[in-house]
Amino acid sequence: MQTRWIRISLLLLLLVVMVLAAGIGAMKIPVPEVLRILAYKAGISVHPLPDVAMMNVFWELRLPRVLMAVMIGGGLAIAGASLQGLFRNPLADPMLIGISSGASLAAVLVIVLYSFLPAFLLNWLPRYYLLNVVTFAGACACSLLVFRLSTTGNRTAVASLLLAGLAITALCNAFIGLITYTANDEELRNITFWSLGSLGGASWRITGALAPFIILPVIVLPVLSKSLNAYSLGETEAHYLGVNVRRLKIGILALSTLAVGAAVASAGMIGFVGLVVPHILRSVTGTDHRQLLFNSAVLGAILLTLADTVGRTIIAPAELPIGIVTALIGTPVFITLLLKQRKKLGGLETA
Amino acid sequence: MIRAGNITYLAGKQKILHDVSCFVEKGKVTVLLGSNGAGKSTLLKILAGALSPASGTLAWKGKPYSAISVAAFARERAVLTQHYGVSMPFRCSEIVLMGRYPHFTGNPSKQDLQIVEEAMRELQVDVFADRYFQSLSGGEQQRVQMARVLAQLWPTHENDTEKFMLLDEPVSSMDCLYQQKSLQTARRMAARGFAVLVVLHDLNLAAQYADEVILLRKGRLIASGDCKTVLQASLIREAYDYEVEVVYHDDFHFPLIVPAAHKKQTFLLQTKTA
Repeated sequence: MQTRWIRISLLLLLLVVMVLAAGIGAMKIPVPEVLRILAYKAGISVHPLPDVAMMNVFWELRLPRVLMAVMIGGGLAIAGASLQGLFRNPLADPMLIGISSGASLAAVLVIVLYSFLPAFLLNWLPRYYLLNVVTFAGACACSLLVFRLSTTGNRTAVASLLLAGLAITALCNAFIGLITYTANDEELRNITFWSLGSLGGASWRITGALAPFIILPVIVLPVLSKSLNAYSLGETEAHYLGVNVRRLKIGILALSTLAVGAAVASAGMIGFVGLVVPHILRSVTGTDHRQLLFNSAVLGAILLTLADTVGRTIIAPAELPIGIVTALIGTPVFITLLLKQRKKLGGLETA
Repeated sequence: MIRAGNITYLAGKQKILHDVSCFVEKGKVTVLLGSNGAGKSTLLKILAGALSPASGTLAWKGKPYSAISVAAFARERAVLTQHYGVSMPFRCSEIVLMGRYPHFTGNPSKQDLQIVEEAMRELQVDVFADRYFQSLSGGEQQRVQMARVLAQLWPTHENDTEKFMLLDEPVSSMDCLYQQKSLQTARRMAARGFAVLVVLHDLNLAAQYADEVILLRKGRLIASGDCKTVLQASLIREAYDYEVEVVYHDDFHFPLIVPAAHKKQTFLLQTKTA
């Protein structure tokens, strides 16, 4: 089975990339040492004991960061692939249904209004978590609003979903502009860095908080892949094939919102992963969502881990924001793919 | 097997179907005829369970549609619709496999894959199995979709034939050979016990393959019954405002329907005022 081999090799590649990424940085940790630390932490006795400094760097800094990159990359890519299936459009992106703009607006509000917030709230929720929680809430609220706007009775029209998403995005951007206009220099800097994305805040707490929001969609979305395939024939046709279309739409939207909302909340805006990863896979394995969704998650994890490794080492000791890296790498890849595809189709127009 | 009683359907304020009652019987090919906009596709969608009528009753094997789940109905009823906007690149074998989706969870069984192959052979699209659906011509795409419909209903054992196949203009893009072949396939399935409903425009194809005909005009039923009683010049004129001659020939067991305008004898084309 060719499809099984693609999946297995992607998973192996992910493991290799994770081990390598965890070793690369200001303190180099060789691969055998990484394995020894992992064995030691798993309770297996190793001789000699791993170097304490290396172990601390690995366990407190590198590992949570790598895991965070894996989860965010996987979550963004699988959400992108699912939304593209739902919109029956390979160009769909979480941006389209307002998730990203809702998250941005919430983040900008927190950054600018931070000093006006009542003290008890700040004692209860430290600044970093406040940003995470509010951003996530903003993403969910916007996605819900877009969904409500495009639903009449119990029918959700995909075309109005798109239009409502665009309208809400425009509105959010207007508010963001308004708030940015009143922001001072430091706040502006924070806003800019947030919108470029960064995994610099990685810690076990953030990684742990992120995990359920990513793991749930990565497990459940592939269950919907048969329905998504049928859905690509058309809504009525999916109904004829036994798909509960309404439940499918709600499921895809809710799970994608969870993944993207959590990703944006913990790392800011990271573009292109959700768009490029499914596109690369579709050009290799076709659209069959039974392979596409899970493979997207794995390839997304690989690419984001690589991008983060590049971002934090290329201008060390400074860090290049990961959003810049993904866009710098993603755009040429995307354009190359488009050109290649155009050649392959030989002028035949396919949507 | 399908019993529709007093179906009325409204689109906004406009009545698309007025009080239509009909049957689709097991073991027979029932052809739905009518002019453009007569309500054929709407009636087909209602019988397929995709649209709910404003009033009227619908039953499949004696069970009201409202009591049948979407998933359970999909195992017994398949529909070929007119337009497939398959927007993403799918291989033809994947499209046909979708017909088996209602029958398995997780991965397809060996039997499912075998059925896909047989259904593709039946419509002679097995050579396209690895081609992308979009790269096929319109007629070839229709045959692949028809193979998917067959795969959905394919009997897995001797008595597994209580199925309902609905085909909305299944041969509109096919050449004359495959028009015949596809409708022969529909016939064979009816012979095995399926209830088959086909929307057609070509009166001669209808005459050739129909056991029963349902004739609609402006959302009303004007005739239904066996092929020879419905396919009469007077009823066809009423349905289409179009003059035909229904010719019987000893060598054929079905009537031939010829436009009267081609008769050598001149006559006035009758048009009726609504």
